[in-house]
Amino acid sequence: MLGDSKFKVFLDLINTASKDELIWMNGYLNGMVQAQVAKAATVAAPVATAAPAVNKITIVYGTETGNSKRLATEFATRAKQHQIHAKVVGMDQYRLTDLPKEEYLLAVISTQGEGEPPIAAKKFYDHIHQNGFKLSKLKYSVLALGDTSYPLYCKTGEDVDEQLKKLGGERIAPLQKCDVEYEEDANGWFQQVLQQLHSQQTGSVEAVTAAPVAPAKKAGKQKYAGKVLTAINLNDHGSNKETWHIEIEADGVEYLCGDSIGIYPENPTSEVEAVLAVSGADANKIVEFKKEQVTIYDLLKYKINIIHLTERLVKQYADIVQQEIPATKMNLLDLLKIYPVKDLSQFEEIIVKLNAMSPRLYTIASSPAAHDGEVHIVVVKDQYHINGETKFGLCSDYLSYLEEGSTQNFFVQPNKRFRLPAAEKDVIMVGPGTGIAAFRSFLAERDATGATGKNWLFFGEQQFATDFLYQTEIQNWYETGVLTKVNLAFSRDQKEKVYVQHKMEQHGAELFQWLEGGGSFFVCGKKDPMSVDVEKTLLGIIAEHGNKTGEEAKLYLEQMEHAGRYEKDVY
Amino acid sequence: MSKLSAIEKIKVESNALRGTIRESLQDEITGAIREDDQAVIKFHGMYQQDNRDRREERAEKKLDRLYSYMIRLRLPGGFISAEKWLAANDVAGENSTGVIKITTRQTIQLHGIIKAKIKPTIQAFNEANLDSIATCGDINRNVTCSSHPNESPLHAKVFAFADKISTMLMPKTKAYYEIWLDEEKVADKKVEEDPLYQDRYMPRKFKIGIGIPPNNDVDVFTNDIGLIAIIEDNELKGFNIAIGGGLSTTHGNHETYARLATVIGFVDTEEKVLKAVYEILTVQRDFGNRSDRKLARLKYTVDRLGIDKYKEEVEQRTGFALEPARPYEFLRRVDNYGWEQNHEGRWYYTLFIENGRVLDDEKLAMKTALNEVAKTGKSSFMFTANQNMIISDVAAEDKELINDILAKFNILEHTAAASAIRKNAIACVALPTCPLALAEAQRYMPSLISKIEPLLVKHQLEQENIIMRMTGCPNGCGRPYAAEIGLVGTGPGRYNLHIGGDNEGERLNTLFKENLDEDSILAELDTLFTSFVSKRATGETFGDFTNRSYIQN
Ligand code: SRM
Ligand SMILES: Cc1cc2nc3c(=O)[nH]c(=O)nc-3n(C[C@H](O)[C@H](O)[C@H](O)COP(=O)(O)OP(=O)(O)OC[C@H]3O[C@@H](n4cnc5c(N)ncnc54)[C@H](O)[C@@H]3O)c2cc1C
Ligand SMILES: Cc1cc2nc3c(=O)[nH]c(=O)nc-3n(C[C@H](O)[C@H](O)[C@H](O)COP(=O)(O)O)c2cc1C
Ligand code: SF4
Repeated sequence: MLGDSKFKVFLDLINTASKDELIWMNGYLNGMVQAQVAKAATVAAPVATAAPAVNKITIVYGTETGNSKRLATEFATRAKQHQIHAKVVGMDQYRLTDLPKEEYLLAVISTQGEGEPPIAAKKFYDHIHQNGFKLSKLKYSVLALGDTSYPLYCKTGEDVDEQLKKLGGERIAPLQKCDVEYEEDANGWFQQVLQQLHSQQTGSVEAVTAAPVAPAKKAGKQKYAGKVLTAINLNDHGSNKETWHIEIEADGVEYLCGDSIGIYPENPTSEVEAVLAVSGADANKIVEFKKEQVTIYDLLKYKINIIHLTERLVKQYADIVQQEIPATKMNLLDLLKIYPVKDLSQFEEIIVKLNAMSPRLYTIASSPAAHDGEVHIVVVKDQYHINGETKFGLCSDYLSYLEEGSTQNFFVQPNKRFRLPAAEKDVIMVGPGTGIAAFRSFLAERDATGATGKNWLFFGEQQFATDFLYQTEIQNWYETGVLTKVNLAFSRDQKEKVYVQHKMEQHGAELFQWLEGGGSFFVCGKKDPMSVDVEKTLLGIIAEHGNKTGEEAKLYLEQMEHAGRYEKDVY
Repeated sequence: MSKLSAIEKIKVESNALRGTIRESLQDEITGAIREDDQAVIKFHGMYQQDNRDRREERAEKKLDRLYSYMIRLRLPGGFISAEKWLAANDVAGENSTGVIKITTRQTIQLHGIIKAKIKPTIQAFNEANLDSIATCGDINRNVTCSSHPNESPLHAKVFAFADKISTMLMPKTKAYYEIWLDEEKVADKKVEEDPLYQDRYMPRKFKIGIGIPPNNDVDVFTNDIGLIAIIEDNELKGFNIAIGGGLSTTHGNHETYARLATVIGFVDTEEKVLKAVYEILTVQRDFGNRSDRKLARLKYTVDRLGIDKYKEEVEQRTGFALEPARPYEFLRRVDNYGWEQNHEGRWYYTLFIENGRVLDDEKLAMKTALNEVAKTGKSSFMFTANQNMIISDVAAEDKELINDILAKFNILEHTAAASAIRKNAIACVALPTCPLALAEAQRYMPSLISKIEPLLVKHQLEQENIIMRMTGCPNGCGRPYAAEIGLVGTGPGRYNLHIGGDNEGERLNTLFKENLDEDSILAELDTLFTSFVSKRATGETFGDFTNRSYIQN
């Protein structure tokens, strides 16, 4: 359709563009088309030359895994191209006292936990929830990142949008909710925002929210009923850990290395029966939950989370039973025991208002090429202690009792950024503990497809003798040359603790060479402290072996990140 | 001579026992060390092993074999000071299974030390002036010596020889210090020149034991060289020298056999003793079979050359002739349990440690008890070749203190209560650590004995000092061929029964029944006991009786 000359320009442009630039262009064009369809503006699509009515904005972001930050910075760059100076700041860094002075504020924020704000955004979130101040000058719009597989889809974004309105702010573009595949919707939203900033009369917009995207688009969310083939505890006697390797067969299951699966846990029958006992409720009575008729038993067992209720829900409980309850997380059972309900109707009101059970994500440890029709995961039994008593995490405990041959439902959760590079590219993988999952997937894939790039694995655990997850497989990949290098850190095998980052340091020079050679760096596993320390160390290595200042090293890593060569799957 | 065995090549190319051990320790991905190094580390006193019980389940768990290392200390004559004992305990607690195993050659082994812990372990030993040099490998092993000081005022004198011989026969290489103790490389290779071992070491392991009549607790005749202390009118006159002892056989290989050492003569002065021992080694070094390791021990060299030829060769090299052997008499081999006092009035307590396994279990806190004793600093320790322990050199005024500790932990009772057959028994390590084991031994024999005891009671033989020994394979680590009842593992739950050995260790036993399971073992013993009580000559031992009635005719 394009004329030759145009087409050449077009090709030159896309051929030289980075992954992120392409994503951006895609979104930009998409935004323009949308804008025209929506007739949101009669003005010609904005071009870099047209001076905007507004030339100064602030973009705040609240992020857990970095998506919101990535978008925020992307938007800032685009704003500059429109001669709008955009100040980008994380909500944890943001000076709350500046809020009343703000004129144009864009908020990009994700939802975590059970509809809770990211840790870094909590301060900001709480601040705007305590009323008692006005934001009269404020013009704003909110981009909410979320995931439709969680019951409280984009809850935090909704709250922020609502609160800013309550405080007297004026919406310049409707709240946009985005699912895991957020790029398009996000760019469309920013496009609208840009137009608002360009057009003189920035009139208020009604609080219409973009309808949740049609399931059809959510190929990634297809549910599967798999058959459990194997469940083995990988740790040997004498270990402090219990780490389960689980193989699930599911015909036609589609995923890519780097994806995760989501699993909805069940509540322990003992807990459910205890709740029924104290409440005296009839297990078979039908109640309505989210427009669905279910027995109270099924509701408690499968549908809602009754353990470690959020402060919001504890407060909700307090309001219903009209008792004073300190703001803290609690189990439904304990609430019922300490603050009994007046009657069964109160009980029913409480439970139907509880949160639907949230899925738990597990990074896929298998590869489509190597394990056709199967997904493998590796799950460590989550342990925690309350007043001296050892308790186990709901889902990981449940998974540690999976019976071979039983059915297990799950959905695939794509992770578009966490992807193997081209076959000839080198890959550095840091995956201690269950972080090994992604890399067992990567290595199996590269092995099966005969990828030529070099592979370097850093793995760590407590004890070599009992905790070397997938030892024999890793030894095999090493002997057959799939793995070029392997470095291991077992923290408890010697007096001083040794972790993966220490091993990285030891091999810093070579590691930097791999990066210089265009290698990609992946981290998978515990976010804190692991991925944080690994990043610190990586920056140190770049600075030392690339003779760079701390700032330059940061930049170097950011560029890697932009090129998709530094990726994290951490939790 | 035909092609050299693989090990010979490894030794010569090992750069004075260094091999690639350093690199092997760096291989993070495996708990094992490189194949050739597995032969080399033996010379440093350790063996690579893996827990055979755990193999299958670990494979399922995608875990490699549970490789670990066994370290054997060098304790000439089985003597260890209280401080050293405590140090060994700390190391064991931190880096190994925690069980301390007293061996049939009077030293101790720690098991289950993972690769990452080898260096710290050896360094900790070194701090305590303990080492494991040459306790394994084709080289002279731990020198044993009769451990019962009360038996002779000259014990100390004789005992000193164990140390002197051990020191004389140490390898000259500094590899041990370099690799494990991070001492810097020897610049001048001359320092390491080794006229005795050269670069090929011995064709096979080499063992020396010193016996002080009348007690043959060390089984002096099962050694490549046995020295018999000749004591006349309370003076150490010198030693009879016996050569060519060795027990190992291989199932189905008829060229292999157990052999007791042959006495070849007598030497008087210390200088001559050391010289003779030294040259016996050089003859074996030069004439020993280096192509077939199954036939490489001195016993085969002696039989190949003929005893006279061997002796001649030795005399040529020493430059002096051996005198005719002097008379001696061995009367027993078992330990004298309980308190005893020597000629100087110092006290000794010999305690029973089943199969030499020192640990705390629900029944007995043996390990804690011994540590308590050690902490008093009022005694030292000696290990016996019967895998027991002697709390030694206790001053009269301290005896009560020690005795109270032993009483408090029921050690006195434990030792007194054990039956004769149990106290005299030896079982080797075998499963799960020994890679050569075909059947259980130390994990099984205690329960087997519990079933034999009633038989003995039934026949009123519970007081008899019958010597029974069990091994998990025909290598003979528990010296089963030199027992009155020998049980040699052939496969899971199955044993060959040997009978007819004497009580003093001067006559080997003979294979009597093959591949017995527990029931058949008990049935056979029951019949033997029956005929023993009915047909024995007065004072006749079980070994002599069975030899006379079942082996000779
Ligand atoms: C610990 C000990 C048995 C015990 O329960 O006390 C022992 C244990 C082992 N012996 Fe032994 N031998 C032990 C005394 C003996 C004896 C008895 C003696 O020396 O008084 C013998 C028979 C006498 C002899 O040497 O003829 C003995 C003959 C062997 C042999 C056969 C040697 C041969 O000539 O063929 C082997 C196998 C080999 O060397 O190839 C062997 C090999 C082994 C190994 C190292 C297995 C191996 O080669 O991997 C066993 C380690 C098992 C473990 O897990 O600890 N062991 N071994 C004894 C340690 C003595 C020491 O402190 O040095
Ligand atoms: C992208 C992603 C990938 C992941 N990949 C993996 C993987 O490959 N392998 C893996 O093992 N995990 C993985 N996880 C973590 C996994 O999703 C779960 O978070 C983990 O299994 C814990 O869930 P749980 O239901 O067992 O524990 P939960 O019941 O959710 O408890 C988690 C924590 O909450 C607290 N808590 C819960 N109940 C109480 C209470 N009553 N009182 C006090 N405190 C309480 C405790 O601190 C507890 O440790 C991943 C997570 C993400 C986000
Ligand atoms: C543990 C966990 C809990 C989550 N809970 C929710 C939720 O309750 N509601 C929701 O809409 N999204 C939820 N999400 C999805 C994230 O909001 C989504 O991945 C988003 O892209 C993360 O953006 P960020 O990287 O800026 O934090 C959750 C994600 C994780 C890992
Ligand atoms: S006799 Fe055999 S089984 Fe017993 S320790 Fe020796 S080699 Fe192992």
